[in-house]
Amino acid sequence: MTSRRGFLTGVIAATLAPQASWASARNPAFLSAGRDGAGNFLLAGLAETGDILFRHPLPERGHAAAAHPIRPQAVAFARRPGRFADVIDCCTGAALARLEPPAGHHFYGHGVFSADGSRLFTTENDYDNARGIIGVWDAADDYRRITAFSSGGIGPHDMALRRDAPGLVVANGGIETHPDSGRAKLNLPDMRPNLSYLSLDGDLQDQMELPQELHLNSIRHLAIRADGTVGFAMQWQGDLGEQVPTAGLHKPGGGPFLLAEDDPRVLNMNGYGGSTAFSADGTLLGVTSPRGGVLQIIDTVSGALLHEHKETDICGLAPAPGGFTASTGTGQLLTISETGLTMLQPADLAWDNHLIRLS
Amino acid sequence: MRVLALILSLVAAPAMASDLSSEITDQLILPAFEELTADAAELATAAKADCSPQSGSLRAAYGNAFDAWIAASHYRFGPTETDNRAFALAFWPDSRSKTPKALGNLIRSEDAGISDPVKFASHSIAARGFYALEYLLYDPDLSTAGSPDYRCALTRAISADIAATSQAIAADWTERFAAEMRAPTRRYRSEEEITQELLKALTTGLQVLDDMRLGRPLGTFDKPRPNRAEARRSGRSLRHLLLSLNAMEPLALALAQQDAGLRADLSQSFEKARTRAETLDDPVFAGVADPGARIRIEALRQEVKDLRAIVSKRLSPSLGVAAGFNSLDGD
Repeated sequence: MTSRRGFLTGVIAATLAPQASWASARNPAFLSAGRDGAGNFLLAGLAETGDILFRHPLPERGHAAAAHPIRPQAVAFARRPGRFADVIDCCTGAALARLEPPAGHHFYGHGVFSADGSRLFTTENDYDNARGIIGVWDAADDYRRITAFSSGGIGPHDMALRRDAPGLVVANGGIETHPDSGRAKLNLPDMRPNLSYLSLDGDLQDQMELPQELHLNSIRHLAIRADGTVGFAMQWQGDLGEQVPTAGLHKPGGGPFLLAEDDPRVLNMNGYGGSTAFSADGTLLGVTSPRGGVLQIIDTVSGALLHEHKETDICGLAPAPGGFTASTGTGQLLTISETGLTMLQPADLAWDNHLIRLS
Repeated sequence: MRVLALILSLVAAPAMASDLSSEITDQLILPAFEELTADAAELATAAKADCSPQSGSLRAAYGNAFDAWIAASHYRFGPTETDNRAFALAFWPDSRSKTPKALGNLIRSEDAGISDPVKFASHSIAARGFYALEYLLYDPDLSTAGSPDYRCALTRAISADIAATSQAIAADWTERFAAEMRAPTRRYRSEEEITQELLKALTTGLQVLDDMRLGRPLGTFDKPRPNRAEARRSGRSLRHLLLSLNAMEPLALALAQQDAGLRADLSQSFEKARTRAETLDDPVFAGVADPGARIRIEALRQEVKDLRAIVSKRLSPSLGVAAGFNSLDGD
């Protein structure tokens, strides 16, 4: 473990010396949490080809991750209701810091850096008060906690940087949980998921709610396109077998555009959107369902479901040249483009829910 | 009997996945879709001969063809998924009542396009298939709505469409997909993947029994939903559960291969579920709304859950399939 002094020296060196860049970490294309054959949890960096460039052990199961925009540092977030976020030097493998949320909070498994890399934002549950929180950490000062503000709802999960304006967009899933009750859902009759657009200081700038008949559709995962359009994936908390959409698009100021609503194949998702991503050119939105074992690819203009790809335990999804790259709990990595599906280097690992693209 | 021979033939030596999948394809899957094709053709013929909702011969042909679909419907991969054929045969559950709405619209507008099979096949999937035909034959409103001539034409169009879709699935199976199941070529990358597809047919089929056929009408104790029972208008809800159990048992036993203990336990578990179902005496699960009767339907559901547990805890691991890392995660 690096000492604080040693780490700070490293940070100063990193800001002065040009060598500490993502290039010196061999430019991973993706980050993903996973579990190895012996049951150990880890964060891995992957090349575009699927080759694993580094592995870093995690104390418990991870979920998503965030990559610093400049320095070769990755943050691995604990799966909810976990209480760690590990900052890793992707060149040396050194553990740089372990973030722990304040007492009474736990992480939700997602976070994002500001565009300049000065701050890290984390989604958190202030569980005794049933409030969603965004924690703010100083990435230039040993990941010290600076402040926190409301996420704009209950159960903030995924979060992204806006592309059309400075700020954050947060998927507030709407579901109240408390660690004393495990992962039990405490408020389903009253849940109201939303997408909240926040300034980097936490001012609520816009908010999108679903129509009342879809209030049980927990907005959980996000993708963001260069023009600022937000893609979102939902998880239905109502009865199984209901024909409800699992994906939608939104732009601040407008209403939700729900996708593939009238296509019977939405039933193949089992009401569960696991990850979502735009294709590299932004014309398509992909949504995975590990429960349905399927990736659905939707035209963002017409909202029509264009293709389905069946793959056991598929979940992680990211943009890739020509289309998408997806990962599975069976260790597969595959690209999907107009020319078809290509299997990449499989791993002796179970890839966890999210495949994080490094830009 | 053929299934027994299959199982015995596998006792001698550990089977290659391709042997196993070839046997299952030849002895279970292809015959199931052949039966469906034959019965669906008879349904189309019966509708042509007599399209009255009260017609005994039409209702009998409808019942036979629907039986054949239920017995094949757990093979939801490959040919059934092309052009949404499975949904075109069976759009259920229909949580938004799209089927009665689509049929009502057709009957009101008397859309002449239905007499052209190609045009009809381009209609909303909700107006096609066995569940749509059930409304025309058994629903008190839709079976008497609008003009009898138009309803007759619609009954014939849906029946002919069911026959054509069934034929397309069966042809696709024999001409193309059976070969995919015998050895990894294009669709599957390995023999393990083929076996896993067959296992998934079983696990998903059992999940449909648990979550859909029983779970949807059961609802909750405070809010039972008897109107959600599958095909209740024709009194087929419990029948579908039994047909499906009977169709999946030989698949489960074949997948268990030479593990005699597992086979015996699977057989026993299927038998327990079947016995519960046979003694229920409630063809449409109306008892879900009666606390005294409900407990027996819940007990049946528990038998199905026990069966699922044997499959997930013993059969799946024996085929090298672990519980889904992500699918079980829920995050």
